[in-house]
Amino acid sequence: MSVSTAPETDQAPSSHELISADVPWELIVWNDPVNLMSYVSYVFQSYFGYSEAKASKLMMQVHQEGKSAVASGAKEKMEAHVVAMHGFGLWATVQKGGGRG
Amino acid sequence: MAKAFIAGRRGITGILEGAERDLLRKLFADIITMLEPETPAHEDPLAALIGLDMDATVPTDPALLRLLPDAVRNDAGAALEFRQLTERSLRENKIGALRAASLDLDHDKVVLDADRARLWSMALNDVRLVLAERLEIRDEQDADRVHLVQDWGEADDVESYLSLVYNFVSWLQESLVQAMLVGLKSRK
Repeated sequence: MSVSTAPETDQAPSSHELISADVPWELIVWNDPVNLMSYVSYVFQSYFGYSEAKASKLMMQVHQEGKSAVASGAKEKMEAHVVAMHGFGLWATVQKGGGRG
Repeated sequence: MAKAFIAGRRGITGILEGAERDLLRKLFADIITMLEPETPAHEDPLAALIGLDMDATVPTDPALLRLLPDAVRNDAGAALEFRQLTERSLRENKIGALRAASLDLDHDKVVLDADRARLWSMALNDVRLVLAERLEIRDEQDADRVHLVQDWGEADDVESYLSLVYNFVSWLQESLVQAMLVGLKSRK
């Protein structure tokens, strides 16, 4: 999509290709009472290129469960994503994956 | 009264009255002032060029902290290090969006392409984050309490005035985002 500003593909392996020693990082988006559900869904669709269904599912997870891991992969990539999310005003953090929170 | 944004062939169009445009201009300017970094005189020009700011610290104003949150939880050291590497460019990007939206306020009719609409949605969102912090919106109940204030005739104190402004900006952002979602759908 033309509005997608996702970083260029790099050499980092995607999460399912990682060797066991490499733990992928996660981008967590947290719930807050201010951001509009429509806006969060728009950000997930336009920035990550997710389908409307996937964006909506992740948005509802944030809303109902308080947070959602919306992307995972190389640390540098998740760090670029977190800056982008803060640019949109979403409340996001990065963490090493596998911790379930 | 403002007319909701609608998606059309020439982009997204909305109508804003003079008083509404004055209000938005003032709000955007206030947030720009909050976000403008103080530039130290001794700054290393190369560091500035790449956006490094070793003097960056966690904002003490909770509203500014909401605009520039920590990117790492439960690790103040890692969060600060990340802030020093990224906060300056985040501030500049936010200021850029707020300035772009301000520039579109010269006429009643606001016409936005997809990219401009994105900048507008970010600017309106930052305004709402700051107002929400001032109104102490911490959970859904707080949000409902603020949402109930709808009558401009009742704007007799700062809190009810801010609530009305918050509700207006929320309405405007919702209408803009709905139009943007229509645009995303039609591009697929």
